[in-house]
Amino acid sequence: MKHIYFREMRLNAKNLIIWSLSVGILGMICILLYSSMQGDMEEMADAFSNMGMFSDAFGMSTLSIATIGGFFATEVGTVHGLGSAMFASILAITMLSKEEEGHSGEFLLTLPVSRGKVVIAKGLCILSDLVLFTVVCALFYILGFVLLGEDLPAKEFVTFMGMQLLMNAELAGICYGISALSWKNRMGLGLGLVLFFYIYDLMGRIVPDAKPYLYLGPYSYANASQIFAGEAMEGKGIAVACLLLFCGFAFAFWEYRRRDLAA
Amino acid sequence: MTNVIEISHLTKYYGKHRGVEDVSLTVREGDIFGFIGPNGAGKSTTIRSMLGFLKFQQGSIRLLGMDSVKDREEILQNVGYMPSEAWFYPTMKVKDVIRYAADVRGKDCRAEAEKLCEKLKVDTEKKIRELSLGNRKKVSIVCAMQHKPRLFIFDEPTGGLDPLMQKHFFELIEAYVKEGATCLLSTHVLSEVNKYCRHAAIMREGQLTMLESADIDDETFLHFYEE
Repeated sequence: MKHIYFREMRLNAKNLIIWSLSVGILGMICILLYSSMQGDMEEMADAFSNMGMFSDAFGMSTLSIATIGGFFATEVGTVHGLGSAMFASILAITMLSKEEEGHSGEFLLTLPVSRGKVVIAKGLCILSDLVLFTVVCALFYILGFVLLGEDLPAKEFVTFMGMQLLMNAELAGICYGISALSWKNRMGLGLGLVLFFYIYDLMGRIVPDAKPYLYLGPYSYANASQIFAGEAMEGKGIAVACLLLFCGFAFAFWEYRRRDLAA
Repeated sequence: MTNVIEISHLTKYYGKHRGVEDVSLTVREGDIFGFIGPNGAGKSTTIRSMLGFLKFQQGSIRLLGMDSVKDREEILQNVGYMPSEAWFYPTMKVKDVIRYAADVRGKDCRAEAEKLCEKLKVDTEKKIRELSLGNRKKVSIVCAMQHKPRLFIFDEPTGGLDPLMQKHFFELIEAYVKEGATCLLSTHVLSEVNKYCRHAAIMREGQLTMLESADIDDETFLHFYEE
């Protein structure tokens, strides 16, 4: 099983490097832009905090974009939230199906290893890649704060990165389950799921009647504005995330062992 | 001699579509067994059921005295399989693919792999995506043989191989069989059946018929492929 894990890590290394550098550097550039925009920020912050429901939706009523914490939450929160989720979904949704689509399954699955072990090894590879992705991005963001000469709001930052990691793992769990069902590349579906959950979260924050159901989406507990504003996180959202993460991986394990594999 | 392959009343349907129906087959140790039949007859379904790719509805398969479902991992430790298409991971180097196959088996196959690569003229430094079908097949042969399995299963192995490599391939099979291995050879090439196989069976429309002899003439062979 360890050989499959390490081979998968090597095969995904290029993707991991490209995605983590892209999102990490983009986030760092956003942080560095703070100093050049600081002068105009006060007026902008006032305008953002007086937009009614939209201010609440984006956390601007409690968090000022003129502060580094608020700026990070608004700008980097969006970049990392979308970028990391895209990486997680693409990685997981292709992980099992690529063997059948590329016909390499006939090679891999005639080696003396059970399908269950293949699912476990590949699942561990996804989780490892997500952790590495988060660490690389976090290092770039920290570098941004250092270059800017600003204090890092350490507690909020660690909470934000941790919740983003959980969100990515939840999305990966769902996509991994889909990957076990499919023998074709479903990358489009993975990206569609990310956009769906992102918009679901936005709508949930804008439309008051939808707010009670916000916790069902993965962006609910990983919202940067909420975390940097020091608002308490809903335990329900985290519980749903853990449940979906577990169910996704468990379904992949069950389905991949059960079904016929394409030639 | 013991039975290496024992298929009993195998039935596999893909939804409503017939795969194979009530197939029973026995192959004894040391045999080179020819498995012939038209496209879509059920040869690959039988092979893929043996290897655990497909979940069949009825029947049982025993390979090397073990149950193909319960003891799958142990069986595959002693099986060398070569698929008709021979696909690997395109970005991997040939030497890494060969090494990887040996590592997963937990065996040091370097000496045998080197011997096979030399005989088949395999360029181990190339990446898989740079190889033609014939060269990918040669890599597949090395992966199937390097661990000296007790049972070989080949699905149309010589398509894409040049005549010299085909000759080397069968020399290798005969050498391994002489050492006690058994070979199931699915093919459309009559000369391969006539020259190398000791027993043969034909599959047609999902059903299997044992042939009295593996020595078949052209006319009889083509008749098998007619509706």
